Amino acid sequence: MTERFEMTLCSDEEMVQLLQAMQSDAPDALGFAERLIEAYPEDARLHFLRGSMLAGAGRPIEAHASLSRAVALAPDFSLARFQLGFFELTSGEAARALATWEPLDALPHDHYLAHFTRGLRHLIQDHFAETMRELEQGIAVNTENLPLNRDMQLIVEECGRLAGPAPAAEASEEEEASATSFLLDQFGRGTTH
Amino acid sequence: MKQRRGGISSGLGLLLVPPRVEASLWRRFRFEHETRCREQIFTRYRDLARAIAARQLRVRPRHGVELNDMEQFAYEGLLVAIDRFDPLRGIPFGAFARRRILGSIADGSARMNEIDAQYSYRRRVEAERLRSLAAGHGQSDPLGALADLAAGLAIGLILEGTSLLAPEDGMDRRPNAYESLAWRQLQTQLVQEIDRLSEREAAIIRQHYENGVSFAQIAGLLGLSKGRVSQLHAGALAKLRKRMGYR
Repeated sequence: MTERFEMTLCSDEEMVQLLQAMQSDAPDALGFAERLIEAYPEDARLHFLRGSMLAGAGRPIEAHASLSRAVALAPDFSLARFQLGFFELTSGEAARALATWEPLDALPHDHYLAHFTRGLRHLIQDHFAETMRELEQGIAVNTENLPLNRDMQLIVEECGRLAGPAPAAEASEEEEASATSFLLDQFGRGTTH
Repeated sequence: MKQRRGGISSGLGLLLVPPRVEASLWRRFRFEHETRCREQIFTRYRDLARAIAARQLRVRPRHGVELNDMEQFAYEGLLVAIDRFDPLRGIPFGAFARRRILGSIADGSARMNEIDAQYSYRRRVEAERLRSLAAGHGQSDPLGALADLAAGLAIGLILEGTSLLAPEDGMDRRPNAYESLAWRQLQTQLVQEIDRLSEREAAIIRQHYENGVSFAQIAGLLGLSKGRVSQLHAGALAKLRKRMGYR
């Protein structure tokens, strides 16, 4: 996908160093990101990574600010936009998440982020079957961001619990049957739409 | 192939990360100036304030202080805590608020012992409510004014016995044998009508009648003057009265 970073960006070398620090959970990874941001305040990737670290460190207000900054600097930075919306959704701000995601509609239909976005929009409306289908399809085509696949897989599993055979008292037979056939569809990897 | 499940198992509910939901309220209240988030934070921690008040009532010497008074002091402390809390410092708000609430209860009880333990909060609230409803009536039609007042107070009375929102304290609010069907229907209708009020009017009615929050505190909560809250309260009750056919 096209990403527009023509401003003064941090070097590949520095970026690799930062990613390594993050992967090894180096205690100063956040500080390192902040020093890089001082040097390259326009580099959306740095704000995005800082936002991710802050979200992981339980500092949600600052995490939101960083992710928002990344998207403001690089509106076409789809991964940052997706994550910002996802962050808003997990914060209970569904309307805002939908607004954040709107430009992602321009992504190719088969892009993994397009699948994930569609899936989560279905989830907001409690359409569990559609959610699972889109998320599964996104996971299948996403080879570049594996941690994201894990997050989406967890949601699929939760949906499976909600959409699957329901507590006996309320579920009609018909409902159970459709849930089951749906699950079979999924395992059979049909391309149903 | 639509699967719909309501309640707790909603799709959005599945995704919510509670600390983020709370942080989002603080962010919008402090940095995006969304003032209604202040009330949402208050509502979120109201039960904490209430629980502390109930416990303090048991452990402190009484001196005529009632539970209602204790709750008011606790709410005052909670409001101060909301305004002084720095959400970026990483301290959980509950712990921060607890200290302010306890301090406010201690101050309030001491103040009350000195001044007038007799004139309890409940009576103050009733007087306040009466003033709110009586204001604006001229002397030209005293009987009409009295009828208006009585209808306004009656609606207040019906509301007091209602849980406007889902009960959070687990109390059993099922009607007992004495509550007639008509009364319950009236309550239900009233609750529906409250939902149709403007957001601000509904907030005032709910906080005041359901949670026993005073007009002064609601004023602080919504960023209005106490007089304005009193006016809005009277206006909201008048609307309810009209829509429910009390003419």
